[in-house]
Amino acid sequence: MAKVLVVDVNKCNGCYNCQIACKDEHVANDWTPYAKPQPDTGQFWTKVEEIERGTLPKVKVAYMHQICQHCDDAPCVTACKEKAIYKREDGIVIIDPEKCKGSRSCVDACPYGAIYFNWDLNISQKCTFCAHLLDRGWKEPRCCDACPTGAFTFGEEEDLKDVIAKAELLHPEYKAKPRVYYLGIPRKFVAGAVYDPEEDECLIGAKVTLTSLKTKKNQTAKTDEFGDFWFDGLDVGEYSLLIEKDGYYAQKIEPVKTEKDVNVGDIKLYKKA
Amino acid sequence: MTNKEIAIKEAQKEKTYIIGLGCCGNGVDGNASEVDVKDGKIIRIRPLHFDRKYKPEEFRPWKIKARGQVYEPPMKNLIPPLSLGYKKRVYSSNRILYPLKRVDFDPKGDRNIENRGKSGYVRISWDEALEIVVGEIKRIIAKYGPYAIFSQSDGHGETKIVNGGHGAHRDLLDLLGGYTQQTRNPDSWEGWYWGAKHVWGCEPVGMSPISNLMLDIAENTDVLLHWGCDAETTTWGWAGQSASRFLYWFSDLGIKHVFICPDVNYAAAVHADKWIPILPNTDAAMQFAIAYVWLTEDTYDKEYIATHTVGFDKFKDYVLGKEDGIPKTPKWASELCGVPSRTIKALARYWASKRTSVAHGNGGSYIRGPYSTEPARLEVVLLAMQGLGKPGANQVKFMEWGFFGRPYEMPIPRPVVMPQVFACYHGFDVTKYPKQIIPKDLVHEAILNAPISWYGTSLLAEKVENQFQKYTYPVEGCSPIHMIWTDSPCWITCWNGGNKQIEAFKHPSIEFIVAQHIWLENDCLFADVILPVRTKFEELDIGVDGLSGQYRTIQYEGQCIEPLGESKGDWEIACMVAEKLGLLEQVTKGKSIEEWMKVGFEHSGCAELISWDKFKENQYYVIPTDTEWDKNSRGLQDFYENPEKFPLTTPTGKIEIYSERLAKHFPDDEERPPYPKWIPYGESHQESLLCDRAKKYPILVCSNHPRWGVHANHDDITWFREIKTCKVKGPDGYQYHTVWIHPKDAAARGIADGDVVNIYNERGGVLAGAFVTERIMPGSISIDHGAKYDPIIAGELDRGGAINTITPGKLTSKNATGMATSGFLVEVERVNLDELNRKYPEALRRHFHPTAGPGVESFIVGGK
Repeated sequence: MAKVLVVDVNKCNGCYNCQIACKDEHVANDWTPYAKPQPDTGQFWTKVEEIERGTLPKVKVAYMHQICQHCDDAPCVTACKEKAIYKREDGIVIIDPEKCKGSRSCVDACPYGAIYFNWDLNISQKCTFCAHLLDRGWKEPRCCDACPTGAFTFGEEEDLKDVIAKAELLHPEYKAKPRVYYLGIPRKFVAGAVYDPEEDECLIGAKVTLTSLKTKKNQTAKTDEFGDFWFDGLDVGEYSLLIEKDGYYAQKIEPVKTEKDVNVGDIKLYKKA
Repeated sequence: MTNKEIAIKEAQKEKTYIIGLGCCGNGVDGNASEVDVKDGKIIRIRPLHFDRKYKPEEFRPWKIKARGQVYEPPMKNLIPPLSLGYKKRVYSSNRILYPLKRVDFDPKGDRNIENRGKSGYVRISWDEALEIVVGEIKRIIAKYGPYAIFSQSDGHGETKIVNGGHGAHRDLLDLLGGYTQQTRNPDSWEGWYWGAKHVWGCEPVGMSPISNLMLDIAENTDVLLHWGCDAETTTWGWAGQSASRFLYWFSDLGIKHVFICPDVNYAAAVHADKWIPILPNTDAAMQFAIAYVWLTEDTYDKEYIATHTVGFDKFKDYVLGKEDGIPKTPKWASELCGVPSRTIKALARYWASKRTSVAHGNGGSYIRGPYSTEPARLEVVLLAMQGLGKPGANQVKFMEWGFFGRPYEMPIPRPVVMPQVFACYHGFDVTKYPKQIIPKDLVHEAILNAPISWYGTSLLAEKVENQFQKYTYPVEGCSPIHMIWTDSPCWITCWNGGNKQIEAFKHPSIEFIVAQHIWLENDCLFADVILPVRTKFEELDIGVDGLSGQYRTIQYEGQCIEPLGESKGDWEIACMVAEKLGLLEQVTKGKSIEEWMKVGFEHSGCAELISWDKFKENQYYVIPTDTEWDKNSRGLQDFYENPEKFPLTTPTGKIEIYSERLAKHFPDDEERPPYPKWIPYGESHQESLLCDRAKKYPILVCSNHPRWGVHANHDDITWFREIKTCKVKGPDGYQYHTVWIHPKDAAARGIADGDVVNIYNERGGVLAGAFVTERIMPGSISIDHGAKYDPIIAGELDRGGAINTITPGKLTSKNATGMATSGFLVEVERVNLDELNRKYPEALRRHFHPTAGPGVESFIVGGK
């Protein structure tokens, strides 16, 4: 029986309840032997990261979540020479606040940047999945209890296997076997709007084709009631964009580079003579 | 012991209380939470789990089914971060722990009134504080009569019931022969109250009934137009986050969310299918152009206009340009509002072809700007042109569900009773006022420029007819005010023309100001004596969660912790003063706190559902869902179906696009004519880009209700202040209030992300921290109101980010007694901090808490 956390980024409304509830639980509260108090500011055992996507008026915001991944092959556990970091039977990784001697080796070892150093107490600290509450009978940690939209789901790996099958890991290349899964990790979008400058009208139903210059794979979309089109979930790369509408000269934009989300802007199509 | 044994032992030391943590404050609470206490200290605040003491079947969980999907509210209250982080408010470095006196205030000698806002404070004893306050009350009444005492006591903040909060001293002042009352205007509803009420009635505040609209939207709506609405923010302090879940569910059902606002507000950030950026307070132009498209393309409901409205022809002529020679075309509008004409046309056609409801959530530049009567009235006209009240086509509000305790305010399944505890509420009563009043948005005018006159008491519960009644100050036979007793000291950071109010606070006619408050902030800095108040965790009370988007509860709110320092309850302070005046028994009516709670419980509507003893034991009760909930009509459905049988409250019973009443009472009012017009500027305001002022101040301010607080509340929560949309840390370590600025505007002014900037106009300057972002349209900046005032020069320059200090001081328009606090002109410049330090060394070197901002130590002489 081992715990997992599934974070659904698509359901996160950005309220920061998780980050604040974590502080409410751990700042100025001493939960030794699980954790000593978190400093009032500067540490984020669960952290919301705002990602602004696109440019006006094609702007969205995604909220990513950084938290200890409670890895099964946790680099912090092996890095700690004091053997102060251990994995519980339920999969939760704990830094024993009384055994920690402040070597900070775990802080450097964690590829997810989830371990903080408390200079006042001379110990490393991080998320405990609120093990002190689970052990008294709680079903979930504070961040999950506080989440209003169901973006955080906590439970037994076995019970959540259907969700896990659809989810992905953050940085699987670290090969640390994390116990935190993500749905809806933001990728990149390409968006724009198509209009007829002579008629001063948004062009509805124009066909937009986005082709990867690398793989030559393409996808199409139709412009909506405002002449807008969106392609989301794209990999970083170079693309070409073809906009076509009957009776209009087609337009091609190339390359469209998706290091960042791209608003190609308002595209003019001219009527064929 | 094993770790687990230790954990269980620790748990046994904790005791749980149920406390409402909404900040509406006026006897109506929300955000019921569980508060865990150990060793006299608050350990945690978490959502109330409704099934904590009751089985779900006891309160009949509700469901809404539509389009093959089901919406079920969760078993926990969806409280916001404002509640979760509230412990920091209790233990804030900003708490006032003992009575304070301005160091150079001597009631028997030199009062140094001009030093208000400048001089620091020293600790005094309660005896001395009461002696001064009681002495001043007696002296003022003897010299000027009782009306010289001004009760500045209303507003938002902690919702205390028996313990009052906001007006707890009014009963006492009544017993002393009367007083002058600050009347609470319908803030956040300005346009609806002063504009839309004349069109469609919809008492008391001019917004549509919203009963069962979540069901109606789910079943019938294609598009939700979020017009200036941020359902992910303004709901927080009232009813938590149910709105958020509904918006996600509506997306799942295929309903499109279109946002019309200058900013990618927090709801647009995650829910928008389309964002239409519009310059602050220019919405009316686009609304006219939408009407123009519908008129010229013949895509409006002519039959509805004929059967449900009056006065359409005059409006039509104006739109088509027959009246003033200017057709209100999309091109015309585009130049005024910044939305491309093709987008306006597309929006008009989209709206006309889809079942569309318009969504609101209070605040912002749409409804709180100069002449906000116009967009509000225009919205009603546009809704009417598309058959307002038909399935899927209503005006819906994503907050204040049940604010006045009426079923028509319940867009979700209603409970069998809407619990209220006004019977034991000692705060202000919106229906009662003495013979001399001053509307809250005219206080500065009353002090600086009396005599003054205006229309309407401006009380939010007044019927529209009251707007035709003229009031004056001072009233014949009453003294002008000479003393202010405030228990809501956040005027300057929440109301209009804050710097003018500072001038008023320093006016020599105001001989004494006493403030009672939990935290040393804002108007407190202008008081002569400050009395320390407890938080609601420190006293016994009763409460209701009357705004939840899930289940209504009534709470027995136990005293969680001992009062901090020498702080007292708001009502207790009134009682202490009453005792000195020999009026204690008349104020308390001989009842203890718990006896008052019982009175409230007995009149709450819940006494028939649960016994007092059981209620006290369980600490809360969940009101069961009414099994007949779906029988309530939806929004304006009845009026849509049968306007004769279900008329509106207007004189004709119909939607009065042309108001004969306005024409009769205000025949020459060009600022609020009988039907809506495009009024960019006028006698009262020159806040449009079309004005000459715009050459000097070319940026329009979008000032929303705050994300990280409720009005002036929560600004010292350190956990919020490390979030970029709350504060930006300057190079000097000071956390500046965040202002959003578009990269284009920033580049043109040499402003980089993180820079300290000065936002200014001729009314003063406000420092802020730049957040350079695509989330705000060029030509506009966005800065939330409510930041804690931190004067560099009181009345001129503020470091704290209190943007309301430089809002217009004038009313919505000359006969509409609302305020205008968004959609006004400023310029923004990068601040050279070294230069500022040289210029104002004393203010800039004043102590501030590095993570909580200015606090008690900043304003105490000697820092302690």
